[in-house]
Amino acid sequence: MLKVENLDVYYGEAQALWGLNLSVSSGDICTLVGANGGGKTTLLKTLCGLLSVQRGSIVLDGEDLLNFKPEDRVSLGLSMSPEGRKIFSNMTVEENLLIGAYNKNAWKKRADLLEKIFEQFPRLKERRGQMAGTLSGGERQMLAIGRALMSEPKMLLLDEPSLGLAPKTVEQVMELIQSINESGVTILLVEQNVNVALKIAQYGYVIESGRIAMHDAAEVLMANDHVREAYLGL
Amino acid sequence: MIHYSILFEQLINGLVLGSMYALVASGLTLIWGTMKMLNFSHGELFMLGGFGIYIGVVSFHLPVWLALSLVMVFIFIIAALIEKAFISPLLKRPDWDVSAVVVTLGIGIFIQNLAFKIWGGDYRNVPYVVEGTLSFLGMRFAWHRIYILVMTVIVLVGFWQFMKRTRFGMAMRATSFDSDTAMLMGIAPRRIFTITFGLSACLAALAGSALAPIFSVNPWMGVVPLIKGFIVVILGGLGSFSGAILGGFIIGLSETFSVLFLPSGWKDIISFVLLIVILVIRPQGLLGKKEW
Repeated sequence: MLKVENLDVYYGEAQALWGLNLSVSSGDICTLVGANGGGKTTLLKTLCGLLSVQRGSIVLDGEDLLNFKPEDRVSLGLSMSPEGRKIFSNMTVEENLLIGAYNKNAWKKRADLLEKIFEQFPRLKERRGQMAGTLSGGERQMLAIGRALMSEPKMLLLDEPSLGLAPKTVEQVMELIQSINESGVTILLVEQNVNVALKIAQYGYVIESGRIAMHDAAEVLMANDHVREAYLGL
Repeated sequence: MIHYSILFEQLINGLVLGSMYALVASGLTLIWGTMKMLNFSHGELFMLGGFGIYIGVVSFHLPVWLALSLVMVFIFIIAALIEKAFISPLLKRPDWDVSAVVVTLGIGIFIQNLAFKIWGGDYRNVPYVVEGTLSFLGMRFAWHRIYILVMTVIVLVGFWQFMKRTRFGMAMRATSFDSDTAMLMGIAPRRIFTITFGLSACLAALAGSALAPIFSVNPWMGVVPLIKGFIVVILGGLGSFSGAILGGFIIGLSETFSVLFLPSGWKDIISFVLLIVILVIRPQGLLGKKEW
């Protein structure tokens, strides 16, 4: 589904990603874990086109993403729930979801898509007319994910969905991610909360200082001494 | 003792003036809200609206509605081209918000002098859109003023609904809030900026065309509305659409009512004093949000 090869990305003069290779197969949950400043968000922003690529390639479902402007990547089936949710708090919950269906194909079906999201997220339905800025942290995360789903993505990028949430809410969010995956969406989950991420993912990548330090099946990573020590605090 | 009919007439005049300020200011605030820049050529787009209606109605004898529609289309295209050619390239620069001020100021001066070169400095009269007066309880109102009032209300309400309900209006609001995240939704902020600039110009030109029969058309007719427009948006809160409308009516009404008590030369002082007083009490403007 997604194949990243030899990716070099710079922030101005500073190189942030070094020859990065990563691939996610269709139907999987893949997680990308690592410490703050390691390049996780940089990679996601690059996939979405918010940062430009110096060298390397990104292919999604046979399409070379680098030929597409950021705003055109949505219609290829790529969607992201960004770090910090980034909901439009000047708009209502329902409007936030509708704007997620901005691309022409999704817009035609927006009423059906909205109904589907409301079925999946009953809390959002209760609060559909409320300004998004008044939601709690967990609800905002649900909204950010719901908004990303409104474009009917093949591949969903999730940036730190557990950040700042209570453990119980984190659990709910992870269950939700699993059920989205079961409905056929491939997921790349970026997390600092390595423990919960490795629990729902089939395999994972560990990124350190802009390089992939290791990648393996989730259970293998979970048992790895370096991962246990550096990220799981065991 | 002031007769009630004078008060009522002044009320209507104040509402008419206020509606014009609201139109001009809502264009300015729209650009600030989405692009985070001040457009100093806004007054000249207002002026082009005036000349546009003059050329359409007086030179080509077109019916008003046709002239007005053509003016709107032309102004939209001109403004969109200005945005593409001069403002969009600046968006890439980190210091572009300041350079946008300089560039729009330059465009304003250019348009003003171009208008002077082409049409000269004469004050030209444009006939009323609706001739005649309405007599009501011994008071008389020019139909044209009533047209202005009704037209403004329809345009502003329509624009509000456009922002609230349409796919494009939502995209404009999303972009104004956070253009990077808007991009993740598949919105192209550059296109939104161009169209926003065009729509804002149309609001200015619409005001210019409506006021042309009252104040006559000349190359400098946009200077005062620009200054008043800035007073109104700052008073109402930069970037707030409803603030621009509220501010427009406050300034319009206080100016017309001040004439009852003070020599008319004091009119402009009133709006500045109001601005200063309100900014002392609410630095972010009446409906503005604190950004610090």
